[in-house]
Amino acid sequence: MFIKLIPPDRWKLPVIIVSGIFTGLVFFLFYISKASSYLGDKPETCVNCHIMAPQYATWYHSAHRMKTNCNDCHVPHDNLISKYYFKARDGLRHATVFTLRREPQVIYIKEEGAMAVHRNCVRCHSDLITDNRLLTINSELMKNRISRRCSDCHRETPHGRINSLSAVPWARVPLPESPLPQWLRTEKQAERKQKF
Amino acid sequence: MKPLKELINERPWTGWLLYLITVIVVFALGMLASSVMERRAEAVFAYTPAVTFPENEPDSKVWGEVFPREYYSYLRTSDTSFRSRYNGAALIDMLDEYPSMVILWAGYSFSKDYKQGRGHFYSIEDIRNTLRTGAPVGDAPSPQPNTCWTCKSSNVPGLIAREGAAGFYRGTWEKRGAQVVNPIGCADCHDPKTMNLRITRPALREAFESQGKDISQVSHQELRSLVCAQCHVEYYFNKNIIPDVQYLVLPWKNGTSLEQIEKYYDEAVFSDWTHAISKAPMLKAQHPDFEVYLTGTHASRGVSCADCHMPFMSEGGLKFTDHHLQSPLNSISRSCQVCHREETARLIEDVYQRQEKILENRRVLENLLIKCHFEAKAAWDKGAQESQMIEILNYIRKAQWRWDFAAAGHGNSFHSPVETGRIIASGISMAAEARLRLARLLASFGVGGEVPVPDISTKAKAQAVAGLNMKNLNEEKSLFLKNIVPDWDKQAEKK
Repeated sequence: MFIKLIPPDRWKLPVIIVSGIFTGLVFFLFYISKASSYLGDKPETCVNCHIMAPQYATWYHSAHRMKTNCNDCHVPHDNLISKYYFKARDGLRHATVFTLRREPQVIYIKEEGAMAVHRNCVRCHSDLITDNRLLTINSELMKNRISRRCSDCHRETPHGRINSLSAVPWARVPLPESPLPQWLRTEKQAERKQKF
Repeated sequence: MKPLKELINERPWTGWLLYLITVIVVFALGMLASSVMERRAEAVFAYTPAVTFPENEPDSKVWGEVFPREYYSYLRTSDTSFRSRYNGAALIDMLDEYPSMVILWAGYSFSKDYKQGRGHFYSIEDIRNTLRTGAPVGDAPSPQPNTCWTCKSSNVPGLIAREGAAGFYRGTWEKRGAQVVNPIGCADCHDPKTMNLRITRPALREAFESQGKDISQVSHQELRSLVCAQCHVEYYFNKNIIPDVQYLVLPWKNGTSLEQIEKYYDEAVFSDWTHAISKAPMLKAQHPDFEVYLTGTHASRGVSCADCHMPFMSEGGLKFTDHHLQSPLNSISRSCQVCHREETARLIEDVYQRQEKILENRRVLENLLIKCHFEAKAAWDKGAQESQMIEILNYIRKAQWRWDFAAAGHGNSFHSPVETGRIIASGISMAAEARLRLARLLASFGVGGEVPVPDISTKAKAQAVAGLNMKNLNEEKSLFLKNIVPDWDKQAEKK
């Protein structure tokens, strides 16, 4: 089958060049979109899209930065497949919205995401909600625990309450810098970067 | 399936289709790549101020173009409407409120004029207006050195960077009248590149060095107090470091407590002035706000100046630091109630109670000191010898140093009520000791009765007793303000 795709000798040179351009373009896309970073757990990856800066900045100024990164809370951790499936689905949706410039001015978490976060709260803080002493004191505990999510009450943990795209105008966030290598950048650009 | 070659040979349109699809895919890929690039380029500019300004830019308005919220809240330090029970944001003539201060400072420029200052916005206006800087018209110099400008203006960091600390301090006050024109502002506390807090005044850095500490090693939370401590501290001008320069020094070498600072001055045999009535070698405490705050509960819990005086505020979905520096009594909900879940009135009452109780004993000490000065004068008049007076005068010096240390920081009785109470108590015992010795000395001259204290019930009467010609001073000042100051502003504008 593959052999049938091999072009006649006359066409070989242009086909090599054209498919080289095509492959190069794909690599270039990989490079500038920092595609490989999406496999990891670094919070810096999430601010590859600069509209995530408020979320990054508020997390960075919360106690949760000591122990968690974005993925610890925002993707499921029951097994590896479900983690990467969730990540890929969410990530592709985000990438599509961002590319089409359809991002809302205030980003709200979706139902599925909220559930993932909730399960992750429980994953680390299970001691806080399975204390037998609490069960005896508060008869409604079971009911309350099951019918609500942690974030229903802990609304400001850890991102605060206000999270519009313009909520943190001058926050210092590790946004991606110019993809150009230093030697290709003009003096002015380098200077500007240095200034702030 | 046949080889592609044959397929295309048979139906040429399939070749064209393949070509078209490739074109579309590459085009779309290119579009995607350029979209990614564009959004990455956005990130370089988003969150990056569009206005740049030089390091040490003295004009806060320029900074304000980039940081409008901070700047406009800073501008509100021009609001003088707030008044608390004892202090507030308005100019308060403290000599009017407490005429006995005139006597306590007799022979020193503070007896001419002492007002509770207004907000940072007025720092230049207020130092030009005060009688303490004199009226340098024509060749007559100001009685104060340029060192006095150090804490008054955001022009200072630039000038010190250019001329060095000693170079800046050199000369009399009027020499820099046209150079130092912007009130305290952004450049005094902020690094223009990163907006990090920075220490711009050499005196604080040197004070840290004198204690063997390095101010570049402090945390951000400490800096939120230390930027204030660049100015709101006890200081003096040392004339012995560099000839002809009144060098600004914070006397912290032994530590920052009242006794440690006193020990420093005693060791240096330093006095600010000789008292006009009692001839005692006096010390003037200069608003030791930071030192007293350090001894209080809030400081030991890690609460910084900015936590209460510059609380967070939110505006249009943005949370930022309020740069309207003011009494937290005017921002209870944001300053106090973030920790203390009490009623506003209750919290304010707590502060007033502390102030009232401290003031009660401060006035006791004040009255004792007034009597000390006049009794010492009576002893001199009766022919007392210096050897008889030296210890008595030292007690007066120490007692008044305690009174001034407590009185000069307007926030002391709240910042650290126990320490302030202790300081006043020890001042009272020293003043009592001075008076006891004076009574013995006077008795040896045959003076048994009470030494009369002149009528000092108003500022004017007290100033007459202190031998001040206020009419002249005020006239000279208004001439200076009318003729010289507008020139300074004009010259400054030209630059």
